[in-house]
Amino acid sequence: MNILGVSKIRTLSILVSVAVASSFLAGCSNTGSNRYFGKTFAPKDNVLRYVTGPEPESLDPQLPDGQPEARIYMALYDGLVEYGPKDMQPIPAIAKSWEISPKVDEFLFHLRDGAKWSDGAPITARDFVYSLRRGLRPETISRTSYLGYIIKYAEEFNGGKVFVKKGESFLLAKDFGGSDNGSRTPLGPETTFHTFIASDDRLALDGDEKKRAAEISSDAKLKAAVEGAEFVPVMADDIGVEAVDDFTLRITLRQSAPYFLSMLPHQFFRLVPEKAIEKYKKEWTRPEHIVTCGAFRIKSYRPYDALVLEKDPNYWDAANVHLDGLEFLAVEELTTIMNLYKAGDIDAFQNHVVPSPWVDEIRQYKDEYLNFPENSTAYYAMNITKPPFNDVRVRKAFNLSVDNDGLTAFRKVTKPLYSLAPSFIIPEYDVARAKVSEDIRKERGVSSEEWLKNSRYDPEQARKVLNEAGFPVLKDGDSYSCPSFPLENILITFNSNESNRATAEFVQAQWKQNLGITIPLKTMEFKTYSPYFRSLQYEGFAVLLWSGDFMDPYTFLTLEAGKENQGGSGYYDPKYDKMLDDANYELDSTKRYELLARAEAYLMDQLPAIPLTIGATNWMKKPYVKGLYPSPGTLLPWKFVYIEQDPEKWDKDVENILVNTDPVVERQLQDLKSTQPVATK
Amino acid sequence: MLTFIIRRLLIVIPMALLVVTVTWVLIRIAPGNFYSGEKKIPAAIEANIRKKYGLDQPWYKQYGMMMSNVIRGDFGDSLKYQGQSVNEIIIRHLPYSATIGVLAYLLALLVGLAAGTIAALKQNSLFDYGSMSIAMLGLSVPNFVLGPILILIFAFWVYVLPPARWGGISALVLPVITLGAIYAAYIARLTRAGMLEVLRSDYIRTARAKGLDERTVLFRHAFRGGIVPVVSFTGPALAGLLAGTVVVERVFAIPGLGNIFIQAVQNRDEPLILGIVAFISIMILVFNLLVDISYGFIDPRIRFE
Repeated sequence: MNILGVSKIRTLSILVSVAVASSFLAGCSNTGSNRYFGKTFAPKDNVLRYVTGPEPESLDPQLPDGQPEARIYMALYDGLVEYGPKDMQPIPAIAKSWEISPKVDEFLFHLRDGAKWSDGAPITARDFVYSLRRGLRPETISRTSYLGYIIKYAEEFNGGKVFVKKGESFLLAKDFGGSDNGSRTPLGPETTFHTFIASDDRLALDGDEKKRAAEISSDAKLKAAVEGAEFVPVMADDIGVEAVDDFTLRITLRQSAPYFLSMLPHQFFRLVPEKAIEKYKKEWTRPEHIVTCGAFRIKSYRPYDALVLEKDPNYWDAANVHLDGLEFLAVEELTTIMNLYKAGDIDAFQNHVVPSPWVDEIRQYKDEYLNFPENSTAYYAMNITKPPFNDVRVRKAFNLSVDNDGLTAFRKVTKPLYSLAPSFIIPEYDVARAKVSEDIRKERGVSSEEWLKNSRYDPEQARKVLNEAGFPVLKDGDSYSCPSFPLENILITFNSNESNRATAEFVQAQWKQNLGITIPLKTMEFKTYSPYFRSLQYEGFAVLLWSGDFMDPYTFLTLEAGKENQGGSGYYDPKYDKMLDDANYELDSTKRYELLARAEAYLMDQLPAIPLTIGATNWMKKPYVKGLYPSPGTLLPWKFVYIEQDPEKWDKDVENILVNTDPVVERQLQDLKSTQPVATK
Repeated sequence: MLTFIIRRLLIVIPMALLVVTVTWVLIRIAPGNFYSGEKKIPAAIEANIRKKYGLDQPWYKQYGMMMSNVIRGDFGDSLKYQGQSVNEIIIRHLPYSATIGVLAYLLALLVGLAAGTIAALKQNSLFDYGSMSIAMLGLSVPNFVLGPILILIFAFWVYVLPPARWGGISALVLPVITLGAIYAAYIARLTRAGMLEVLRSDYIRTARAKGLDERTVLFRHAFRGGIVPVVSFTGPALAGLLAGTVVVERVFAIPGLGNIFIQAVQNRDEPLILGIVAFISIMILVFNLLVDISYGFIDPRIRFE
């Protein structure tokens, strides 16, 4: 009898082989002559049953950071804006319109009156002020609160920092090397709070006495200035969020952030109910206490099985909510999800579900299978703090000898990635990137042929570059060898799962074939892998998967920005950071994208990570489910979804689902967008 | 007998605490923590989390706090599923695992005892060879293979039973058969072996010599001795079944304890892991005790000192 779960873990790995085994069984049962995969009847009760992944961590939208939960929150909670159903660009929700300051560092939101909580109470600007302050409270321990850091003094409040008060005034950041934010033109009426929040940034020091003392003693100027000063903790009401009146909300940012609106549909910025939270504390999310504000409300909840929602008649846009109910099922085993779908017990399921041995068969169901590019990427980070990967030529050689197109074909469900930010997600950025690449090529006077050689798969060039780095690749009959390359400790490290392994095996074979270097693989369980990777304990290569927090290339470019970045390569370059900052001060979106593309090109010249693949949605829906789209983050605004009873109007050939227009969805979208006169971006 | 029970019960508590301690150490040795994810959390947020959960305290204080809570039977809140206490989670999900487990075991007993007894009585007959071959097959086909085969047949070839999820009697059929098959096979073989041994023993010969009719010999004398191995097997088996079975619960998406346990380990959800481990270990110890006590009633040759 195993008590410690150790052998249960082993059972789990066996399960993966089960998935494979049973997939063949299920595969046999299908003759391929049927148009649809399994039972396909539009449900008569107008309720959509959807598998969203594992059991949600909590029904509190400000706590978890996972995508399965995010989809549930989109049904239960509304925010200022909502993700567009196809492209995830922000569309009006509780904010019917907004104004943006010339420097894009202040936003004034006009809320619709008539928006209500599920208990019938009206929603006002104060609810947003409460929600943001609550999300940023250190005790809330929101793991996504870093998204709110863009709001002025939010990071200082969340990190428990202190202002320095001397006499009647406060020390300012600009006097101690901080950035000078300059003056702001007020949006909306001037208030006492706004005078404070729009003034120059105050200096904030660490709240912990010991750390503060160290901070002070390391800076002579600061040491002199804090003499006799008082330390005032940054409070919730110092954050740049203000209810100007019941239906006007003003948010002041710490810097220009043209991407702020794209961040706002994120779960962290959705409304949470003050009354229920303050009354029931951590138990407020229980079905008997919870108060929500989305298109749906909770009907019943059986943890680890089903969260059953019904349409909320109090929702401000209830007239345009098509479904009567929505069931989120918690199922983790991929094969089980496929079985439920085939048996007609569910109508659609989350992304990344169809197991790779099934893909070839499932692809034939053209009315149901959705495999579209995603706002997520995979790289091999290289530990650039240790030789030989501290030499950019070595990094380039390894990059040039991976065939990304071949990898994509092999992996079946991904798209090739050639740079840090994914292509296909924001078409305007793809255009900017192509233009910048061409500009740089001309500036350097390189022929287009030569240019391509150094940016795409080219084993010949790779061997040449590795040779220049001091590791000659020798030709050995039909194969290559590189005896001088120091293989000691160099590994490809990844957290164990099927797709990481498939990628690693492919890349390993490529390097062996093209460079004559065989790098061993090393796998780890996920929770073991993360700290190992982050603390740069690996040597050689380690997998880095990233999914964008919002719809802007910046969410990827920031991977390698700052000293403590998420890139895991040990890369830090102030020049790169400066380029990103400059781009974010640019207000013209085309110019800004070009500046970002410049920064990206600069980074890719130093290549801290090898780009591998762009994620793909890889999910299915029954053809009678309409208004549900393979958006780049698989975050689905449920009020657009409806069930079509007439088989004539069912979705056909979903390859074009993003291009085709559905009059029902289009009209709904136009109505919503009509309240915001200027472009939403 | 009473002193025996009390003595055994007194061992249960320290044993469970020992198991909890070892588990706690193992969790702490394992790299990673409950809040680490795909993305690196900013240092300020991590500091807030560590403070809230007392992870900034020295280890002996953390251990002391954990132990004093556990002794009071309070495992605290799950770290992953915020606002839910461990006790609440165990109580809420035990019935799912227990339903499937008990039904599977009853099915196994029914099939196993019958097949084993008949096989023993008709040793070397066609039935004997047939049923024992099926039992051998049952033992060697793991439930993660049997489950998908049953799903394929009953959910897809003939659309009569749901392929997964909880709800209704029809949803119980496949998981109960999947889970029970291996136990039925095991019990059949144990019963057959036990019965064969008893049937050859002197006291059965005596009983027959005294002219008792075959039914009395079989059910009154032979059966009680013959199923002793099955009873020994029942203790740990039932404890394990009640606490949930990972594979069957995952394949059939049943919200049972086994499913939750495996996720708790992956999530490094310390209180939940400790709670379930303590629960399972107490169950095993108690069921073994019950089995030991029942020997006295089943087999008159066994007496407690």
